[in-house]
Amino acid sequence: METIESKTAWNKRDRILLLTGLVLLLAVVPLLMPDHYWLRIQTMAGLYIMLALGLNVVAGFAGLLDLAYVAFFGIGAYIFAILSSDQFGIHLPFLLTLPIAAFVSMGFGFALGSTSMRLKGDYLAIVTLAFSQIFKLLLLNLDRPVNITGGVNGIFNFDPISLFGFRIVTPLAYSYLIWFSALIVIAGCFRIKTSRYGRGWEAIREDELAAEAMGVNTTWMKLKAFAGGAFIAGGAGALFASLQDSVFPNNFNFPQLVIVYCMVILGGLGNIPGVILGAVILSILPEFLRQYGAYRMMSYGLILIILMALRPQGIMGSVDFLVRKKKRPDKDETGILRDSTDLYYSRKQKYMGADTLYSKGPRVFLDFQNVAQDFGGLRAVNKLTFQLHEREILSIIGPNGAGKSTVFNIISGIYAPTSGGVYLRDRSITGLKPHQIVSLGIARTFQNLRLFSNMSVLDNARVGQFCRTKSGPLSILLHLPRYRREEEETEAHVKEILGLFGARLTGYRFDQGASLLSYANRRRLEIARALSTNAEILLLDEPSAGMNPQETEEITRFIKRLRDIHGYTILLIEHKLDVVRAISDRVIALDYGRKIAEGDYEEVARNEQVIEAYLGRKRA
Amino acid sequence: MAPRSVHHAGIRAAKGPPLRFDFTQQDKHMEIYLEQLPQQLVNGLTLGGVYALIAIGYTMVYGILFMLNFAHGEVYMIGGFTGWWVLHLLSRGSVPIMHAALVISLMIVLAMAATGALGVIIERFAYRPLRQAPRMNLLLSALGVSIFLQNLILTYQGAKVRFFHVSSLIPESIRVFQVGHVVLSFMKVLVIGVSFLLMGLLTVVIKRTKVGKAMRATAQDIEAATFMGIDVDRIIVLVFLIGSALGGAAGTLVGLLFTQVDYYVGFQAGLKGFTAAVVGGIGNITGAMLGGIILGLLESLATTFFPSAYKDVVAFTVLILVLIFRPSGLMGEKLPEKV
Repeated sequence: METIESKTAWNKRDRILLLTGLVLLLAVVPLLMPDHYWLRIQTMAGLYIMLALGLNVVAGFAGLLDLAYVAFFGIGAYIFAILSSDQFGIHLPFLLTLPIAAFVSMGFGFALGSTSMRLKGDYLAIVTLAFSQIFKLLLLNLDRPVNITGGVNGIFNFDPISLFGFRIVTPLAYSYLIWFSALIVIAGCFRIKTSRYGRGWEAIREDELAAEAMGVNTTWMKLKAFAGGAFIAGGAGALFASLQDSVFPNNFNFPQLVIVYCMVILGGLGNIPGVILGAVILSILPEFLRQYGAYRMMSYGLILIILMALRPQGIMGSVDFLVRKKKRPDKDETGILRDSTDLYYSRKQKYMGADTLYSKGPRVFLDFQNVAQDFGGLRAVNKLTFQLHEREILSIIGPNGAGKSTVFNIISGIYAPTSGGVYLRDRSITGLKPHQIVSLGIARTFQNLRLFSNMSVLDNARVGQFCRTKSGPLSILLHLPRYRREEEETEAHVKEILGLFGARLTGYRFDQGASLLSYANRRRLEIARALSTNAEILLLDEPSAGMNPQETEEITRFIKRLRDIHGYTILLIEHKLDVVRAISDRVIALDYGRKIAEGDYEEVARNEQVIEAYLGRKRA
Repeated sequence: MAPRSVHHAGIRAAKGPPLRFDFTQQDKHMEIYLEQLPQQLVNGLTLGGVYALIAIGYTMVYGILFMLNFAHGEVYMIGGFTGWWVLHLLSRGSVPIMHAALVISLMIVLAMAATGALGVIIERFAYRPLRQAPRMNLLLSALGVSIFLQNLILTYQGAKVRFFHVSSLIPESIRVFQVGHVVLSFMKVLVIGVSFLLMGLLTVVIKRTKVGKAMRATAQDIEAATFMGIDVDRIIVLVFLIGSALGGAAGTLVGLLFTQVDYYVGFQAGLKGFTAAVVGGIGNITGAMLGGIILGLLESLATTFFPSAYKDVVAFTVLILVLIFRPSGLMGEKLPEKV
């Protein structure tokens, strides 16, 4: 796992200098190669960088163990082979075959992904493994009755590439072509990683269910990662086919996949500079170990085992000498600690003057109609009906196992109820997926904290904005104005939300990993993350659990302010009755999935059944 | 065990009553097909027994650690090699130096011992350090073990196919024989007999013994099992020992049946075994047995319809279809995700 990187503060001049240096270096390197043999290794390193980065999108960013990756590489290569050779007499120009190879490969990725994306990690691995086996069987056997793939002999003798009038034939020209493509892939990977896509994938990798509940369409995003990886692999395949001037089924077998995996793992899953370095190392290193050739694949196996046991984050993980630390925003120019609670107070000032306080309205926002939920023989929620009104704070209480959290899971779409329905302003939301429910304005927190622990505070909150932003791959990769605007708005928005918590979550904490926060702050971040989905209705599952009395009091006041000042509608599960008494408009008591009492706090607290459920029956 | 009794038992198993069909008016293709059916069932049962043995290893490990043991196919392959090596040592030229029954028993027992030990070593060094790590890391480590073992054998044994010279082991009269339309061989009967015997033994161990109870408890809830005083680490070691030993037995049995083994057989066999485990419902031992038999039958019946080059495609297609339409398999239960 990759550690949290502090935001780099490269300014524009530095970046241009660095890039120019890099390009110059890359332009000179091929010329320094002593012979064609080494030039070829240098070229292959560029190709492997592309392949490894493509795999990094699937396995590193999204955390999917895709074992069909090498098949996509092969599909790209064979598409190129078929479209620019005498095999079928088709001779398309390279500028056409390259995108066709990439897009067809991506199409296969979509097709395979859409059938298997519902599967959990291990199953996905095995389905993709089976796919790559089928692919290889087809390559070997599709020379009869019609010769499509050339069987064992493959396809060879392709049209030479010509780009804008330049014919690419010499090894040197290939080196430049492939490294140029690799640079484009590298740049694309960097851009996608810091975009809403990158954050969505990272969230999925950290905690898929929480990502879905924060509005990330996890199925679709995983599919996109899968297809994105296939796209890069397909393009690399076309380049590879042209470089080798032939394709054979054996170019795309399992060991090949293992090599690429080793590169990604060595560099660290998701860590772009690491993966590049991993690809370069594993392209060059075997050349020095050629007399031990037989042990080469064995050592790849060992690399995987040892790295996983000792350094799963890869060689580059947590090495941040390359990363400039961002200045702590709570220090001024002279390095003296500034009053870090500035933000907190400035916001508070703003609302001090607000004289209209919101309160419970008459309209029904959320209607929970006659819902039942069975788990096997257990009826967790039994014909439960209640209404949540506009800007109301409604608390659900009840002993453990009463079905409180199940109610939340039904509203937020994690469970589809066995019978009954949930309506949001008269619109049925029963059976919608969690991310759809989030985009309708209902967000939740989890009782046992499901933050994205390895992401920063800011990024945790930014994930909440995923369902409110629309930038697609094109705007992200090209940094189109729409993307820039959305990113700016997202940043401003989540900073404002985090600002509600004052210094607890702002200042230098913006870039701190969620796992480094104190327990109470993690609880606050859960709420902040839910708020940043632009929700109107908040489902808070035991927000004060595990907090000390002061913290409990603070969070209680905070929740009240969320309604009074900001106008949120709040459904609350809480065990601490002091909290319930202090802020609830109404209270519902559950026991064994049934509603045993409803009304204001005093009414419910005096109810016989409630007392019995909490304290047990009085002896008669 | 004495081969003779095994062979009688096998014949009886193959000659079940449902195989008698009496259709009077059928088109020719169907007729041929029905004629072949008993033969295909026997072939399917032979394959199925082996797949079931492999599947048990996957399913037992998955049941407790929720991990896909990629290396299991390689364990099977090494089982095959151990069997070959024992046979090779105990033969002069291609004639065994001992009684055939003893040679075959030794092959199976030693293969099981070697692979059982191998399974324990794998668990200790590749999986135990990762017990708290993300699932993907475990999978990758398993992948590493698989590659390592495969290439270890490739390095020391070479890529060439090793042949089991079994013909000299078995008297001519029972090497191949016919019952009705069904062609049987000693090896088929042996494979069916041994695999079902091992499955029976395992079932008894799991259902009737204290250790079996501990295993079932650990599979249900590893934490709760710890609190009840079960040494979970020991149970996990035991699971790897048993699962790998069964996989090793399957390796040797297949070697005896098809008379060859090479460094690459584990890959296909592993996939088949996994498919069988998934068909039966991964995590469920009875399901794995059932899944193995079903897959074996399906595969051998499919050879009637498809060219045999695509035989493996059938298994993989079954796998993908099951995963998509009934991921919990035949006997697996679907649990709601804990939130």
